[in-house]
This record gives sequence, C-alpha cells and structure tokens, in this order.
Amino acid sequence: MSSITISVNGTPYTRDVEDRTLLVHFIRDHLALTGTHVGCDTTQCGACTVVVDGKAVKSCTVLAVSADGSDVTTVEGLADGDNLHDVQTAFHEHHGLQCGFCTSGMIMAAVNMIKRHDGMLDEATVRHELEGNLCRCTGYHNIIKSVLAAAEKHRQRNHAAA
Amino acid sequence: MTRPTPDISPAALNDVRQEGNSPELDLVRKALFQHVGKPIPRKEDRRLTTGKGRFSDDFSLPGQTYAAMVRSPYPHARILGIDTADALAMPGVLTILTGQDVRDDGLLPVPHNPVPSTNFDMKLTAPDGGIPFIGPHYLLPTDKARHVGEAVAIVVAETSAQAVDAAEQVMVDYEELPHITGTAAAAEPGAASVWDEVPDNVFIDTKFGDWAATDAVFASARHVVRADFHIDRVTAMTLEPRAALGSFDEETGRYTLYAGSGGAVRQKGELSKVLGVEADRVRVLSFDVGGNFGARNRVYVEFGLVLWASRRIGRPVKFTATRSEAFLTDYQGRDLVTKVELALDENGKFLALRADNLSNVGARCVSLSPLSKGSGLITGSYDIPIAALRARAVFTNTMCTQAYRSSGRPEVTYAIERLVELAALELGFDPLELRRKNLIPESAMPYTNAVGSIYDSGQYEKNMDWVLRIADWDGFDARKAQSASRGKLRGRGFANYVESSIGSPRERAEIEIKLDGTVEVVIGTQPSGQGHETSFAQVVADMIQVPVAKVWIVLGDTDIVSVGGGSHSGRSMRHAGTVMAMAAADLLTEGRKRAADLFDTEMSGIEFESGYFKVTGTNKAIDIFALGEQTRGTHGPLRVARNNEMHTPVYPNGAAICEVEVDPETGLVTIVGYSTIDDVGRCINPLIVHGQTHGGIAQGVGQAMWELCAIEPETGQPLAGSLMDYGMPRSDNMPFFNCEIAEVISPTNPLGIKAGGEGGTTPALVTVTNAVIDAVKDFGVTNLAMPLTPFTVWKAIHQSNRHPA
Repeated sequence: MSSITISVNGTPYTRDVEDRTLLVHFIRDHLALTGTHVGCDTTQCGACTVVVDGKAVKSCTVLAVSADGSDVTTVEGLADGDNLHDVQTAFHEHHGLQCGFCTSGMIMAAVNMIKRHDGMLDEATVRHELEGNLCRCTGYHNIIKSVLAAAEKHRQRNHAAA
Repeated sequence: MTRPTPDISPAALNDVRQEGNSPELDLVRKALFQHVGKPIPRKEDRRLTTGKGRFSDDFSLPGQTYAAMVRSPYPHARILGIDTADALAMPGVLTILTGQDVRDDGLLPVPHNPVPSTNFDMKLTAPDGGIPFIGPHYLLPTDKARHVGEAVAIVVAETSAQAVDAAEQVMVDYEELPHITGTAAAAEPGAASVWDEVPDNVFIDTKFGDWAATDAVFASARHVVRADFHIDRVTAMTLEPRAALGSFDEETGRYTLYAGSGGAVRQKGELSKVLGVEADRVRVLSFDVGGNFGARNRVYVEFGLVLWASRRIGRPVKFTATRSEAFLTDYQGRDLVTKVELALDENGKFLALRADNLSNVGARCVSLSPLSKGSGLITGSYDIPIAALRARAVFTNTMCTQAYRSSGRPEVTYAIERLVELAALELGFDPLELRRKNLIPESAMPYTNAVGSIYDSGQYEKNMDWVLRIADWDGFDARKAQSASRGKLRGRGFANYVESSIGSPRERAEIEIKLDGTVEVVIGTQPSGQGHETSFAQVVADMIQVPVAKVWIVLGDTDIVSVGGGSHSGRSMRHAGTVMAMAAADLLTEGRKRAADLFDTEMSGIEFESGYFKVTGTNKAIDIFALGEQTRGTHGPLRVARNNEMHTPVYPNGAAICEVEVDPETGLVTIVGYSTIDDVGRCINPLIVHGQTHGGIAQGVGQAMWELCAIEPETGQPLAGSLMDYGMPRSDNMPFFNCEIAEVISPTNPLGIKAGGEGGTTPALVTVTNAVIDAVKDFGVTNLAMPLTPFTVWKAIHQSNRHPA
C-alpha cells in the first residue's frame, strides 16, 4: 500500500492505495467519481480519458501511484456550476451522444484537442486525433460535428480580437 | 436537412385498424405535431455529458463484495471435478460456488423461450415438427463446458483483485472432448455432438413456402442463378461491459439487481424463475445502459449468480466483465450460412426463389429471432411470386448467438441483393434496371410476399430514385477518373432493403398529472441511447398539449414499471407511442369528466383545447395541471394506466449507396461516400432518427469491413479476445453520412410509425460488399467474403489472372 495525493478537479485527495491500483479505479472507486468509465482495460477505447497535468490520458493504463502529485481533471470538473463547457453544450446540440458511455472520454479528449490546437481544427485532424476513442452508437458523424462546432466557438471566443 | 411533410391526410389516419377510434383518440391525432417531428435535443444529455449517468458499474452498496468467474479454456470438455481448496484459502476469499452447488440449491435453468411467438412470426420447429430441445442453461454447468469462456465456477472475495487472483487458483479437472465450431460443419454427418439429446446438432428444421410449385418453376425457368454465402459471426461490442450488482435482503426476502439490459421486466421474470421465487421477490433496476444492440436482451448467467451468491454470503455481490470476458461471453450476432437460388425468365423477371438457411446458435439456444426474422424476408424488396425456404439451426461449441442489431435481416438482404447483382452480371442486365423491373410497386401495398409476410406500406422505387439522386450516381464516372489519377480504384455499391419490426407484443403506459406541474409517464421500454426520455415526452406533450419540458419519462425500475416488452426489434416507439396515445386519450376523457363535474355541466359540453378544458361557448376554462390539483381531493390523482397488445408487424424499407476507393497496392478500402433513404414511417424526432441511422450504418459497415469473431476450427479457440484483434469502426475510417428520412405512414398503428433503429444496418453489409467488388471487378473479381480487410482485397486482386489496362 502507498499513500498518495492527487488533485482531482481542484480538490486534493490523499488515499492509501494498493500499488496495482489503476488511476481510473482510484477515481471511480476511491473518490466515487463515476463519470469516468472503463470500457476495455487495454487502452483501446478511450472511455476512461481524463486530463492529467494538461495532457489527455487513458486512465486505465496509468497506475494511481504514478499520478501521485498530479492535477487531474475529469468530466465532472468541466462545467462551471450550471454552465456547461462549450464542448458539453456542442455534444448536446449536435446529438453527439446516444448511450453516453463513451461520452466522458470523448469530451475530455475533445477539450484537450481543442486547447492544444487553439481551436484550429479541421475534419481530418479531429478524425485522426479521436481515433483512440471508440463509440458504438453514433458512427462518429455527430461527434465530429460536435467537436468542430466547439472548436469554432473556441476560435470565436479567443481569436475575436485578432 | 430537408424533411418531407408527414402524410396526415384523413385517409392515412382513418385507415387505422387498431382499436380505440374514440373521439379522444381522434383529438389526439389532430393535436399531434406540435413537438412531434421536430429535432429537439435530448433531455438525457445533461447527466450524460456531466458524468452523472447511472450505468451498472456506477452502483455500489455498503459492504459489497466482488465476483470473478472461472471460465473454461476448452471448447468442449467434461468436468470431472473442481478443487477449490487452495483458492478458498487465499486472502479475502468469501465463497466459491460451482455447478453442483447450483443443483444442490435447486436453481433452475434460464427460461429463454427462444422461439419467436407473436402471431406474425415464422413458426420454427424441431425436425420432427415438435417443440425443439434448446439445451438447458443453468447458471453453471455440472456435466460439461460447451464453449471457450463458459463460466464453471464463481469466486467471491472482498476485493475485485482478490477474486480474480483466487479464480486462477481454482483447479478444474477437465477431460477434453471432440468439438465443433463451424456452422456448416456442425450439420455434416459425423460432426461432434454438442448435446447427447441432439446427436446431429440440427435441432430446428422447418420448411416454408410452396416447395412443389417452386421446384416446378425452377425446372422450367429460362435462367437460374445460384450462390452460397456465410454471413459470419460478430459481437455487439457495447462500450459498457456488462455488469451486475446483486443484493439479497434477509428481512424482506427480496432480491435486488442493478444491471443494465434491454428490458428490466423480462430480467425480473426470468431471474425469479431461475431462483425459484415469486416474481415480486425480485426487483431489477436498469437505468443508463451503455449500448445494447440486442446483446443485452436476454438474461446472462452472471446476473443470476450475483443474486444467488449474495443470498449465500449475506452481502451484496458485484460482477463487472472485462472486455475480454465480453468478447468471449457477450451474446453474439449473425452467423448464417445461406444457399440461395433465383429463377428468372428471358426478360429478367424474377419467377421464384429457393433458399436453404442454416443458423449457428452456439452451445445453447437463447434466441431463434435471427433465423425467424430472416425467414420472412428472403424475397427482399422484390415481387417474387413463389418461394421456398428450408430453415435450420445447429448447436456448436461456441458462445450463444442472439438477435443483434437488425436481427436476421442483414443476412437475407445480403443474400438477395448479392444474388441480384450476380444475376445481372451472368445474364447481362443492368443491375439497377433488373431491380426496377422486379421491385414491389406502391400500388401492390399492402403486399403479401411468397412466404406470407405482409408489407404494410412503402414507395420502394421512389426510395431508389431518391438515393441515386443524393449520391450523385450519374456523376460517378468523373469521380472514378479522379481516383484513377491518384492510382486508386473507385467502386460503388447499391442495395434496396425491406425489414420487419415485430417485437414483444405487450406494452403498458401510465400517465399522471403531478402536483408539481409536471407530467409523469411510466413505460416499460428500455433505452440504451435511443432517447426515449425525449421522443416519448414529445409524443405525450403533443397529445395532452403541454410543453415537452414538463413531461418526464420513468423507466427501468421493476417496482414502478410492472409490464413492458423492453427495447428490441425496433418496437419501442411504435408500441410505446401507441399505448401512450391510448393512455392520453383516456386521460383526456377523465379530464373532461372532471371538468364537467367542476363546472357543473355535462361532459359533452367540455372541449379540450391548447391544454385547457373549456365549457363550450363560455369563458370557463381550466388547464390540465390546475384540474388535477383541484379535483385531487374529490377524484384522486389525475392518473391513467393503459395496457395494449399489438401483434401486427411493420416493414421499414429503403435504399443505400456506398462509394469506396481501393488502393490496389495494399488492398486498403476507404469508404468515401455513404447515402441512404430510410422509410421509418412517422418520424417523431429527426435528430434522434438520423443518429440511429448513422450508428446503424457504422455497425453494418463494421461487419462488412473489419469485424469478425474468428474461431480457429482446429482448436476451437476464439481469436478475437480484445479490441487489439477485433476491427471496429473508428472516427478515422468512417465518412460523414448523407441520409434522408422518408415518411410513408404505416396504416397499422395510430401514429403511423414503422421503426428507425435498424434500417442503417440492414443493407450496409451488402452495399459495402457490392461497392468493393465493383472497384476490383476489372480484375475479374465477382465475389468477396466479408470482412473486406486489406488482405482479403489484396489477395483477390493478386490471385486474379486478369490485369486491367
């Protein structure tokens, strides 16, 4: 067992965990934040995507002990009170989700992608960078539209002065 | 997105053969379309985009324990003994249970009831015409393991990791037995027997249609075209692995199960029979479900196991499948071998069809839906006057198959649409003209096909023209030349389709006007992403003329939802819509009665308009919420409940076009265009219906291009055990889709609904296949088996002795 401290959505949590505990299980089981999902256990599906120290990572393939001292953002940490993040709003408006199981990971990957590219995204880039997030319901059509719409909003907000 | 005006002509609406042509139902129909037909974003999304969904593994109970399964590594093996001593001594282990414990505790097999049984289902029988043997499905077997991955023991421990560690220490003494996994091979003489009760593995053998007449036509026909196909096995790959949390309460004697499924009411009923208790001793909760596509409709052994184990140890027990367990033991889909023959006259008119269909159900028969559904549709969208079908099913040493998105229909659509292409090629017809010549005309609707299915309505040739237009079929040559300039081969594929939506016939709706100014609707369907909370709310809001935001749909808890067929076979909107229409009519009748009492007048003097009950010719009026509140003391809650049973099927239909580019150097296929027309009947929410179409297409394309539950015949070992070795549709291998909705109202139900969940999938397998074959046809390729991986395509190109100029 190890004692670790991880800041999740701005709040530091100190817990004793087995060394083999994965970050996703730390988030789900130790912190009861069940918005982050486990879809495959093999880093293929992306349902467990969270942002760790500014990078989108698949939390089923990170040991909790190796995230000791990190800042983690999960899907629960995106909205500002009742105000949804632009990416959350875009997924709603463009019907970018059906069953909703992949959605947390999709949204976290999209938030990070838009930030990294400063909103300068086209269809091909979005399709390429979301390749590691699987969805079985939407055929990706409306997910891609959602991400492009959120990227457009990001550009409007941040490049308006330019 | 353009949307045709719904046909709400009196003729269309009056031609309703359903019961309930009351003045209220008439009013309901006239009031419709305030919200219905609008692309309203979903009510579900808020919780799902903020991480507040309630999926099965999200539930936890105080003191819960964790289960892991001991699974057979062999496809077929006798269980000589199970030694649990070492495993029981490991840290945290609480109990280990085996098949012998299942028998000792008197647990019964899952009562799967696999033979589809509505009045309109094709009736499948055993070879002797009797009731088929289906292979008892106990929670754990005592005699043999019959497929790789079959659970033979359950280990329960304090933590999940401890349970998994201990499961590896359970020593099972197996005697390996000869096995059989292949569909056609299992029906061959001398194949290993999965069940002693059915030594030749063939447990269903039924003939449909007019054999003598069909054989006579074939004997004299000018042309006969034949083909054999295997529409192989795939898995639903729901993003959420299945999970179950079971809890037994000693004080009340009740079992509670948190487990996502395709319908909690079925789970409750069948699990109570497994456990040998009255149905009211079991409560099942199924809230957010991370994909179903058919795989979750039937009971899984783990659901019964966690309930039983919870009673045994007195604590809640949780099981969550790993993805590899899902690949091994989720109910799988398809796996049909079909031999089809088409007789034509000299002008290309179809004269007769003969088919021999063989379905692989796996180690036990969980559902015959795929075989049955396909049997009714072997003639596809075409006017083929005579047909004959032999439908068989075999046991094999593989995981059980079940209805999987568009159960049975993609298989037979693949067969007829490939056969039409081959007929055109062999006999020198244009494939589209050959189709047109034989399409069922609108004037023939309702049309009874040669095996007795009654197609309710549709404009098949119009679908065809429409999709050819939106796909710019005529502009193909220029695109092909453009691809060629980049060294790529371009191909296009077309298919028509018609499918059936039948489903469990009973549904119940309860509607209550609540004191907080909302409307609560309790319904027994179970969405897994289809947006019922939104589209059902749209229907009810229109019917009783209140804002859609005020209507809340309640589902998924069997303590609230007493009856309900769940969600499968595209049944939900049609069954729920119909019973909600009836309940809404009842609610308005009750409202008029109460308003008459309140205003001291006759019921005939009350009209309902814009959400108000009014005394005709006066300014006395009261809205439905105030009426509910003011009459609660005298009349009780303003609430109605309505049951409905509806057997008549509907036949969604349409046409699809796929365009591909093939790299001749590598065989890589890229899908560059995909267009569809889908006649879903009345469309309640086009945003949701389009979403269903997109996902349906991707699932069909997935099977055509990559997906395969491959099994090595020599060892019986599944080769697809993770997402590393099972190809999936991904964001970078899918195009944007070009889809339009046709709304040809069905005359079979009050709202005119057909179904919208499966039409994307039904034609996709063959549309993609036709496109890829078209791309490489200059190499002399006339047939390609799915999946159309680069290796498959490269091989076909390089084995060809023809080299196009």
